[in-house]
Amino acid sequence: MIIECRDLIKTYPVENTMVHAVNTVNLSVNKGDFLVILGHSGSGKTTLLSLIGGLTSPDSGQVFIDGVENWQQSDRALSTMRNSKIGFIFQFASLIPTLSVMENILLPLSFGRNPAGSRELALDILAQVGLADKARAFPSQLSGGQQRRVSIARSFINCPDIILADEPTGDLDEETEKDILELFRGYNEQGTTFVVVTHNSDLAATQKGARVFSMRQGVLSSQDA
Amino acid sequence: MALKNIEKQLNILDYALSSLWRRRAKSFSILLVFAAIIFLLASFQMVTQSLSDKAKQVLAYTPEITLQKMSAGRQEAIPLAYREQLAGIFGIRRVVPRIWGYYFDEVRLANYTVMGMELENMPEGARLDASLANGKMPGPEARGWVFVGHSIKEALNLDERYTFSLFRPDLTLKAFTVSGEFSRDTDILTNDLIVMNLADARDLYGIPAGLVTDFCVYVANPKEIDTIAKKISTALPSVRVLTRPQIQKTYQVVFGWRSGFGSICLLAALAAFVILAWDKASGLSPEERREIAILKVLGWETSDILATRFWESLIVSGLACILGMTAAYIHVVYFAASLFRPVLMGWSVLRPDLHLLPRMAAGDILLILAFTVIPYLAATVIPAWRSATVPADSALGG
Repeated sequence: MIIECRDLIKTYPVENTMVHAVNTVNLSVNKGDFLVILGHSGSGKTTLLSLIGGLTSPDSGQVFIDGVENWQQSDRALSTMRNSKIGFIFQFASLIPTLSVMENILLPLSFGRNPAGSRELALDILAQVGLADKARAFPSQLSGGQQRRVSIARSFINCPDIILADEPTGDLDEETEKDILELFRGYNEQGTTFVVVTHNSDLAATQKGARVFSMRQGVLSSQDA
Repeated sequence: MALKNIEKQLNILDYALSSLWRRRAKSFSILLVFAAIIFLLASFQMVTQSLSDKAKQVLAYTPEITLQKMSAGRQEAIPLAYREQLAGIFGIRRVVPRIWGYYFDEVRLANYTVMGMELENMPEGARLDASLANGKMPGPEARGWVFVGHSIKEALNLDERYTFSLFRPDLTLKAFTVSGEFSRDTDILTNDLIVMNLADARDLYGIPAGLVTDFCVYVANPKEIDTIAKKISTALPSVRVLTRPQIQKTYQVVFGWRSGFGSICLLAALAAFVILAWDKASGLSPEERREIAILKVLGWETSDILATRFWESLIVSGLACILGMTAAYIHVVYFAASLFRPVLMGWSVLRPDLHLLPRMAAGDILLILAFTVIPYLAATVIPAWRSATVPADSALGG
């Protein structure tokens, strides 16, 4: 099992009450799974991704990645895990505006994990997302959809075991969306695990063998037949 | 492992450098302001040290004890007859009378310092020739001959002529001939000085025979200065006794006070800069917070982010220190600390055109670093640490 969530609870204070963003979620994900979590805005799906990725700590419950509990690790170990095992795709542009496209993509490979040929790999991934000619451009010179594609390319650069994607096709036109989903399928077939949260129910239909969940008021439920 | 760590640090340094370059307008502005503050502080420190050193060096040839008669808290002429009472004090090598006063030049609106001495009776009299840039000291019989400081020579336009006249109190003129000029090395004391025979000074000021303005007392054993000063005070209660260490201390205090005053003003500017840096850094812009969050998401540790900010701040403050201190050195050596001369050189219209050799002890450098680099590092690294410890998803605003 590559991801396991046990009795995961996360609350946020809203005015004078505590709102359950994630409410007692239990989830097991095997290597190579493609999970689609459907839900409306505010249903808690982004918070669930943050908990799985170790970006925020749960109020209670546990998250295991490859059998290691996230919040039992040191900051260094957790950072290393994020860097080597997880690729993040956020629902908004998460590029550093003062870095070029190429520099943004290579950012996860800093600190001695910069293998030879990484620039070629980056160019290859950029070509796969249709932006081969934008390597030297800056985010401000790209459209919202192009920025999204750059952050998708960045999430694949360190060949992670898991991709956590939040509305990955939100800003994309139909054609590009198809290409990106094709790209996801290709990586998934090679063994990369995907957890994709979206409000787009069509996305689940396009991914063969995808495990589909829905999330409502923090509660996760399976839609698998 | 160590090699990997070095490689990681080099990568962080590389990122810090590129980060500074990316924000080059902001980085350059901070660098300039920072360098300007360090320049001002270091200049003050250097010039104060130089002036103190210079004063100490020049005062080494002044009398060990100076006596002045006081009446109603004010100085008045001292009778030559007091010498007989001083003769009975064991340890006094020599007592030399002196007439010392100011002469106000109404044309140039400048004060000259006039000193009439019996040079032939001064123990160090023969050595005074060494303090002259040219000419020689007039002998005891050479009436009307003077030697002058650099500014006097310039003010009276003595390049082309050797004679000039000063007014006596009864407005008759007394003529003088220049026999020599003091070396520029002694400018701090001799710049506005006219030295002449005791009789000429008496004539110039109209001081009656039997009176002088003060006595220069030389002692046999310099270690006994304080003891002999006490004996003189007891023997002549109406006399003010000034020892050379006291005069040296006065100069140090005067320069120290002026420097301290200036330093306080500059420290206020520095404090304003640190507050500004703190405000700027603690109020990290949403873009900066987002950048930190993105780096965390991508696997950077909190310590990596702090290291990046640390290197950025260290590069800015280090460069500012080098720039500021180099500029201060150039300012003091090549421009004679022209920015601070009005503050540090006092009220005289004829300010010495000093050739200062800056001196800075390691302690002074550390003090400046402590007051500049460390607060700046704290003002930039601490807010980054605060931002880096906040869960990344909240900064990303998802």
